Amino acid sequence: MSRKPSVWMRILQYAVLIGFAIFAFYPVWFAILASGRLGDRLYTLNLAGMFFPTEWTFENYRVMLFERPFLTWLTNSLKVAVAATIFSLIISTSAAFALSRFRFRGREAFLILLLALSTFPGLLSLVAIAQLLTAVGLYGKHLGLILAYTTGTLVFCTWNLKGYFDTIPIDLEEAAMLDGCGPVEAFTLIALPLARPALAVTAILAFMGSWGDFVFAGVLVPAPDSLKLAVPALYSLANSISVPWGYFAAGAVIVVLPTLMVYLALQRYFESGLTVGGVKG
Amino acid sequence: MSVWSGRRRALTVLLFLLPTIIAVLIFNIYPTILNIYTSFTTRNKYKPNPDCSVALSGVLDPLCWPVFRDTAPVGLGEPYRIADPPFKNYTDLLGKLFAPPALISLGKMLVCLVPLIIANAVNKRFAKEVTPPLASGWVWLMAIISVVILGFVLDFFAALATLMETGDFLVVVLRTVMFVAIRVPLTFLVGLILALILNSQHLPGRTFFRVVLFIPWGASAVAILIALVWQFFFRDQGVINQLLLAVFNYKGPVWLNSPVWATVVIVLADIWFSYPFFMVSILGALQSVPNELYEAADVDGASPWQQLMGITLPLIRPAIVPALVLTSITAFQMFGTAFAITAGGPQLGADKPGATEYVMVYAYRQIYQVSNYGRATAFAVLIFIMLFLATLYSLRITKITKGAR
Repeated sequence: MSRKPSVWMRILQYAVLIGFAIFAFYPVWFAILASGRLGDRLYTLNLAGMFFPTEWTFENYRVMLFERPFLTWLTNSLKVAVAATIFSLIISTSAAFALSRFRFRGREAFLILLLALSTFPGLLSLVAIAQLLTAVGLYGKHLGLILAYTTGTLVFCTWNLKGYFDTIPIDLEEAAMLDGCGPVEAFTLIALPLARPALAVTAILAFMGSWGDFVFAGVLVPAPDSLKLAVPALYSLANSISVPWGYFAAGAVIVVLPTLMVYLALQRYFESGLTVGGVKG
Repeated sequence: MSVWSGRRRALTVLLFLLPTIIAVLIFNIYPTILNIYTSFTTRNKYKPNPDCSVALSGVLDPLCWPVFRDTAPVGLGEPYRIADPPFKNYTDLLGKLFAPPALISLGKMLVCLVPLIIANAVNKRFAKEVTPPLASGWVWLMAIISVVILGFVLDFFAALATLMETGDFLVVVLRTVMFVAIRVPLTFLVGLILALILNSQHLPGRTFFRVVLFIPWGASAVAILIALVWQFFFRDQGVINQLLLAVFNYKGPVWLNSPVWATVVIVLADIWFSYPFFMVSILGALQSVPNELYEAADVDGASPWQQLMGITLPLIRPAIVPALVLTSITAFQMFGTAFAITAGGPQLGADKPGATEYVMVYAYRQIYQVSNYGRATAFAVLIFIMLFLATLYSLRITKITKGAR
């Protein structure tokens, strides 16, 4: 649409854009406002206070960081998500490389099986996984959660990395092979370094999958407080009547803002639509 | 790569794939099998442990395996057994679906949809002709009118009510399907409007809006936390009611206690989470529409609406249909938004699913709050089958598997 739209059209366009920008930003903005207000004032807002920081205190942050085990929860979440991401990447890169480079019987079927598995929500096999972890003695432990997350993100990582390996020309590896390099060296010395950007993005997305999860973290590690993860712990905080909502808001802001930053930094990547196996909506 | 071949090659491929295969076997395939087995047992909170002398339990339940038998927790209550009859969990869920009244109701509802199928076929037929005797809009209009008439004659809603009485499964699934049917088109509309505006040239501040409008996508990574903020908006003393009181001096309803309003709130919040996906994918598709087409249309005097319907939508269709299908499947599996905002409520009566208890919320509550594992796994198996069919269909539609070649 190359022609310049009329003035009225322009005004309408901006009205829609501004309206939706407020819609998009307000929930996050509200959480930030609430995190800076004392709990008992949340329910007696003045009109201005709903949109602008008319009062501000770091009391909620202080309580969350120093009087509640919030830092422990954050550390637990970080630990579990990082470990799951590393495991998942180690396992999936080699599979992705093989699926991208070798032609063998059953390859296509295997890829489709992976894709089909990824569309089933993990929640549906939760009972069985909990039973399995109970048997191994990992129920209620971080390691059990790490294993569950690793397999949860595995399929996404495999497809994503396979897609990237497909775009790397095979010539380099072929040349190396002619010079007497084996497939393992071709993988570790040539393909892996070339795939570094894709590895980084895949790692971040896999990390986010475990970082924001509620169901597995809440069911597989229900107690005690010192082992809980940030998201389910914050959820129970928000729903307990005895705890001021401002505490939850402060904790939520600490978790949400870095997540938003990461996604905004990756926006270009999403727009190019490279996330084949991980389409969300 | 033909440098090396034969057995060595096969071994290398296997080594590369082995970790993934093992992980998938242990954490995907095996749980599915155990899940199916559990769905035929009476396992619940009070009978969590197996009776290892039952052959299948001994083989399938990990608590019975010799390696783990010593470390396995010893249950207090009696062990779970095969349900009697074996399909009991399924009949509990599906209830009287296969009894005559429910089947007749189902038949009636399907008959009501026949005109739509006919209209689709007729339109496909007409589309092949150069001058169709009837515009497709008219065919659809006639079809919809006949659906309404048929609906009145056969009493569609009474049939629906009969079906809803059959058991939890249909209630939950139909409600979820209704949620998807409302949520996905609205999200698409919002995404389309925003993408069309953002795609227009000479739009100062475009980058700013692109960034701000993208925020909910990032927030959906920690969906449950932001959904709790949405819940706070609509509490009795929440932001919305305070605004209504302050501006209009009007005492707002208790939003989340009303089945209709609770649904509306969840739809709204879920649109918030998911419109950026549509916006981004439509925006990407719009880049591929050549500008000359619009110039030519301008010369021919086509209105913006005609350009939208005649050029833009048909050309971005290949990119949009997969997005629509995938979004429908993910919307069907929506959990965080509904769970954080209403946790499935408001209650509609004892032992009945709540008004917003969608598929995943129901599954979660059966596991975590009711701890009726037998029924939860039976429910999971039924949803598995539905999702499997939907996935097969979507793989065909989206052609994602072309990456497998």
